[in-house]
Amino acid sequence: MPLLKIDDLEIEVKNGTTVLEAALENGIDIPYYCYHPALEIVGSCRMCLVQVEGMPKLQVSCNTFVGEVPPERKVDGNFDMVVQTQNDLVIQERKNILEFLLLNHPLDCPVCDQAGECYLQDYSFKFGNAHSRFDEDKRVRPNEYLGSQIVINHNRCILCSRCTRFTREISGTSELFVDERGYSSKIAALEDRPLNNLLAGNVADICPVGALLSTDYVHKNRIWNLQKKSSVCQDCSVGCNIDAFYQKRKIFRLNPRENQDVNGYFMCDIGRYGFHRFEDLERVTRPLFKSNGIFSEISWDTAIEKIGDKFNGAEEKVAGVLSPFHTNETNFMLGRFIKGIIGTFPHIEDEEITYPSGFRISSDRSPNKRGMHDVCPSIVDDLASEINDKEIRVIYILDNEIDKEIDETWNKILTKMDFIIVQAYAMTRLAKSAHLILPGLAPFEREGTITNDQGRVQWLRSVLPNNGESRPDWEILNLLYKTGERFSDINELMKGMGEQFPSYSGMTFFKLGDQGLPLNGNLKT
Amino acid sequence: MNAFKPVLTEHIHQKDCHTLPFYKSVGGYKALEKVLAMQPDAVIQEVKESNLRGRGGAGFSTGVKWGFIPKDSDQPKYLINNADESEPGTFKDRLLMNKTPHQMLEGMIIASYAINCNTAFIYIRGEFYKEYQLLKKTLAEAYQANLLGQGILGSDYNLEVVIHRGAGAYICGEETGLIESLEGKRGWPRIKPPFPAIEGYLHCPTVVNNVETLACLPHIINHGADWFKSIGSEKGPGPRLFCVSGTVNNPGVFEEPMGISLKELIFDRAGGIPENKQLKAVFPGGSSSAILTAEEALDVKMDFEDLVEKKSMLGSAGVIVMDETVDMVQACLNIARFYAHESCGQCTPCREGTAWLVKMLTRIVNGQGKPDDIDMLYEITDNIGGRIDFSKGSFGKTICPFGEAVAWPVRSFVEKFENEFRSYIQQVEAVA
Repeated sequence: MPLLKIDDLEIEVKNGTTVLEAALENGIDIPYYCYHPALEIVGSCRMCLVQVEGMPKLQVSCNTFVGEVPPERKVDGNFDMVVQTQNDLVIQERKNILEFLLLNHPLDCPVCDQAGECYLQDYSFKFGNAHSRFDEDKRVRPNEYLGSQIVINHNRCILCSRCTRFTREISGTSELFVDERGYSSKIAALEDRPLNNLLAGNVADICPVGALLSTDYVHKNRIWNLQKKSSVCQDCSVGCNIDAFYQKRKIFRLNPRENQDVNGYFMCDIGRYGFHRFEDLERVTRPLFKSNGIFSEISWDTAIEKIGDKFNGAEEKVAGVLSPFHTNETNFMLGRFIKGIIGTFPHIEDEEITYPSGFRISSDRSPNKRGMHDVCPSIVDDLASEINDKEIRVIYILDNEIDKEIDETWNKILTKMDFIIVQAYAMTRLAKSAHLILPGLAPFEREGTITNDQGRVQWLRSVLPNNGESRPDWEILNLLYKTGERFSDINELMKGMGEQFPSYSGMTFFKLGDQGLPLNGNLKT
Repeated sequence: MNAFKPVLTEHIHQKDCHTLPFYKSVGGYKALEKVLAMQPDAVIQEVKESNLRGRGGAGFSTGVKWGFIPKDSDQPKYLINNADESEPGTFKDRLLMNKTPHQMLEGMIIASYAINCNTAFIYIRGEFYKEYQLLKKTLAEAYQANLLGQGILGSDYNLEVVIHRGAGAYICGEETGLIESLEGKRGWPRIKPPFPAIEGYLHCPTVVNNVETLACLPHIINHGADWFKSIGSEKGPGPRLFCVSGTVNNPGVFEEPMGISLKELIFDRAGGIPENKQLKAVFPGGSSSAILTAEEALDVKMDFEDLVEKKSMLGSAGVIVMDETVDMVQACLNIARFYAHESCGQCTPCREGTAWLVKMLTRIVNGQGKPDDIDMLYEITDNIGGRIDFSKGSFGKTICPFGEAVAWPVRSFVEKFENEFRSYIQQVEAVA
């Protein structure tokens, strides 16, 4: 392995590693704009220049590859390359490049959405001049829509070309290009081919400055008001890793989080903007019991008692309806409790899309179908006819998205039921048909594990706090057991689940971490 | 008076010199016959020994460039004839294409054979429409005579030549910008490494050679490397086409041996300056080269080494002469404007810096200059092109040499004619 000396650090790196990669991996800060690990190297911003021993001019570290050299060409006897990233020459060059970048850049940080998470702002503070030496008129252009959700502020653009490379290389749709030439260059899309692909939102993420903006977030909040939690997208069975940015009880935006085993660096717009559908719902926050067609609030104890009464002696006549939207833990708990039959509503399917880069949007638009089947192997194929055959009279339903799948057949079945229990977070059509509603958590409030269609178990973390008296869904089901048979907490539950289903044994949140783990026994390590 | 007998332009004044019958009548395609009987490596060796250096601007050894093409690669190799002649003050390739297109084509076939290439391109400047039409006829003649196509002249060597017209961008004359453009993309130069010899057109090994470079090849094959080396300067030998324009009595293309004195070129071949005005400054190698003062110009030999010693370069050998009536500040603005217009806009220093130079120079010319502007001009040009330190090689800061191409001439104007810049600024102060 080549031996690289970078500033005072001596490190062995893989053959063909770039100086920039080596530096970033080892905590050395080299500023850059055009480089992005998922995109082709163009080396055009010139910000990552470093001094390489034996080379007459400064080199862009993003395109300087470290390789083993023959003994006679080793530097100082044993190094394959010696690099300076912080000396006067390099710092001066950064100042020069920043000066050029800022010539036409507006001083509008106070109203710019990128402020606070802007590399141009950060490095200007670090390396830039306090005063501009530019005495001429700035180039000023009006904002433009590049697509229905993406707007560009040309004045802030530093033409790093990440966005154009993204649409060429990742989405393969090539909507964005650089129009005009030289000083007049600008990012553009053709009028009849706007940036409306399902990965469009990513260009706002990869834009290193505040030029590309998502209309969904623009001027909504400032980054320093927001808190961040890492979680997993729940809008298809791929399970893209995300960071959710929220303030108090409201999510403001979702950004993709790197996971090379799942989504790379990106996410699709279905997931990105999906959180909005959980806003402004009529939430259920207390157990509700229907008598004479009117719901009234009851206590948890009363609710549990009522369920006990209905189940008692008729366990075989109870059907449980699982949900591929719920966590492994919740589905496991329901599957384990129901002695009659368990099944699930028809799946939500849509178009499967695979992009040239390999990025995938699954046709299965639920996050945990795989996990649900893993931890409830006795799911029946045709729930509707089984219910009729076995004369089921009580049904316990995990409601989540399934509301939209209720068709005529199901309406008929529901009207025949003596007692319908729906565990829900909102007053859906299905919930309204229930006799008893148990308030669970909404998707961004839940914690547990979900398994994607590739068999990767991931830690779904709660982002928002509970509402009212609502409880975690697994905990509600836990209450149905007698006191001595309950799990003391979710960790105990996961242990119990692992005992019954060995591919899930040894699983803890700590082990899953923020990248998840594949099934097939690897969880035990 | 002139012992040197032109090599490349010997026949250009004769009737029908562009046709195949004429070219054959003066020994055309004899070199090709000879080459087809040689091993490709032997051709590369011969060209290496001739020390032929590229005529496009950079002056890199042609044989060495060919030598970089990997021999063990099973990818197709490509030769591209760079006929995108766009350097201000340069018009030699156009002459060669107009008058002796077969000479250039023979050179292309020889080069293609040497690097084992079966598809070659002529990337011709879009504005050269007449030449494009002529070259199409030239190719048709060559295919007809089995000089191109399958089994050339009875050998087992095949070559197709395709003409591609540029769309009017200066930067597409830079070899990687040219390759991008040929691939149908935006003419943005590529970052190196990899160099085109390893990954060029469609990621395959590619050689890009200038028209004049290629035109030299038949002569090297016919007369040998030693003959070629005996012409002109030792470190960069051979005949060279010098384009002289500007304030001279007899502008035009003059074929002379490398190392002819600039004085002879201007005052003898180009007939001196009209109305006996004084010489003020000269671009020795196109507008990308640093300008020479009259004093420097009268004391320089036109070869690679001597011009580098004068902190300029031979470049494309486009000599632009300026007499005493030329306003150097306006001329500088004119040059800066050209480069700002032609900058591809990819690299930060070049995109932003060229426009800054134009804005500042425009302000100075409009009588709104400030005393600090002179220092700023030095600093901006240094920040675009890097400080010119010839002891360490160029100090470019951009992907392609365009940054230097704007920084060097502009800086040389300010450095050598600072007084004129100052007087523009002082006028302002006087008025104020």
